Amino acid sequence: MKIKVRYFAVLRDRRGVGEELIETDVRTVRELVESLIRQHSLGLPPSLIRAAVNGSFANDGDKLSDGDEVVLLPPVSGG
Amino acid sequence: MKSCSCRRCRGARTVFSLTPEPISATAREVPSAGGFVSFEGKVRDHAGGRQVLRLEYEAFDELAVSEGELLCQEAMQRFRLLDVRVIHRTGRLEIGETAVLIQVAAAHRKAAFEGCEWLIDELKKRVPIWKKEFYADGDSGWVAVEPVAPIDERFYERQLRLPEVGEAGQQRLREARVLLVGVGGLASGSLPYLAAAGIGTIGLVDDDVVDVSNLHRQILYRAQDEGKIKVERAAEFAKRLNPTINITTIPYKLSKININELVEQFDWVVDGTDSLEVKFLLNAACKRLRKPFTTASVHRFEGQILTVMPDGPCLQCLFPETPPDACVGTCAEEGVLGLTPGLFGILQANEVLKGLLGYGEVLSQELMLFDLRTGESQRLARQKREYCPACQGDYKMPSNDLEVATLEEAQAKLGEFRLVDVRESDELPRLKVKHEVSPLSRFTWEPSETPTVFICAHGVRSYQVASQCRAQGISNAYSLAGGVLNPSFKEPV
Repeated sequence: MKIKVRYFAVLRDRRGVGEELIETDVRTVRELVESLIRQHSLGLPPSLIRAAVNGSFANDGDKLSDGDEVVLLPPVSGG
Repeated sequence: MKSCSCRRCRGARTVFSLTPEPISATAREVPSAGGFVSFEGKVRDHAGGRQVLRLEYEAFDELAVSEGELLCQEAMQRFRLLDVRVIHRTGRLEIGETAVLIQVAAAHRKAAFEGCEWLIDELKKRVPIWKKEFYADGDSGWVAVEPVAPIDERFYERQLRLPEVGEAGQQRLREARVLLVGVGGLASGSLPYLAAAGIGTIGLVDDDVVDVSNLHRQILYRAQDEGKIKVERAAEFAKRLNPTINITTIPYKLSKININELVEQFDWVVDGTDSLEVKFLLNAACKRLRKPFTTASVHRFEGQILTVMPDGPCLQCLFPETPPDACVGTCAEEGVLGLTPGLFGILQANEVLKGLLGYGEVLSQELMLFDLRTGESQRLARQKREYCPACQGDYKMPSNDLEVATLEEAQAKLGEFRLVDVRESDELPRLKVKHEVSPLSRFTWEPSETPTVFICAHGVRSYQVASQCRAQGISNAYSLAGGVLNPSFKEPV
């Protein structure tokens, strides 16, 4: 299935792009996050990255479907 | 000379006194002080275009001394002075005589100058000492204490016209007490508009002084403010803008010890810090004390903002684990455009005004993201988490047992340990002490019974490695805080 992934803050910097369309066979939000961390050396443990699917924050076990838009957020501290 | 002998003042190294005799005093010695400032106010021969022959000072003795002592205490605290002495004359004085002597000592000269200037300004406003001038034309008159500039009723005219504000709304703003934690880039956006809107009481918490590298984004300050105490400069900025509001300055770091006491005194808390630890601490305290809490964070050209209401989802519902500060960059490390925090500070002020006046809806169920490069904004829905420690009132500060401060501390705490350098092979200086090498780009490391301390240049990569080990159940992995390039880094001999 195809999923649109958007990266924010330090994740964008580490991934090198703000968004991308990926072809994947992961089933859940957690699996997606883990696979992206491995693939792109995002440098944060999965527990510190929050994902929103189609405009709402999602839980680790939530299933993904073809065409979903996933936003990945790291904690941000700057002020 | 009279000086206060109440319990509060006894033993403290300040003194305020009144004397009918000519003033002469030498500065007291304070070995830890590097800056001494001495000010003498003298009787001059003219006032308001009239020739003055002499003066008479009359004080309400008891009150003047107790007020004066309080003033000295306050100056000590505000400017971290090490010593203060104020002597004020009473009775008849001739031209050229010293009317008041103020001596302050501080570790550095800036605080000493600032404290001294503040003392003379406040003394004139607050201490009940009156001055009678005798003029050359035979006339005489009591000179009033300096009045606070009266504020024109048209100050709020344009916002009073909004049906959402009106007299009732303005009254709500006047009664409101808002606490700003961190007086930096975010507060440079929020403070001016909250002060101008007429928030009756604003508290400012920050233990920092102005640094030149702050100025491109922290526009509350001017270039000449370098080294000055931030909350004092920020308070002055706000008071100049709107003299009718009260500003409370708290020049300390917020900690688990003082946080409840502080938050309790306010109606709304605005987080302007760059510390994740403080953000989570504030979130938990506001939840516990049922105070609305608005937090924002920025990164280069983008940021995020949300408001936590007493019964709504909180910051920890969103990020269940308190992330360590070392895992993400701050403005200092990552860089930031000056107006990014300014914009998010303004959005924070908008949250407070929305909440107090009731226009629109606060971001209590959402997180808003905004990117200044693309102009794109996104609102993501947030939900309450069932077992959120902050919502349930049992939030504990993370103990951070992941980091060791020095290699000596590691030795004392862990006994024998493995030291693993995760820097790339071309990074200098190399370690002399016995260690293993495993650059992060091709990281291979086998856990063992012996604890491991990871080390890198600044303590960021080593923190990531150690926290990932912990996440995988390896409990004896540690990170050396600050890394090799930390100025206090030392190798054991």
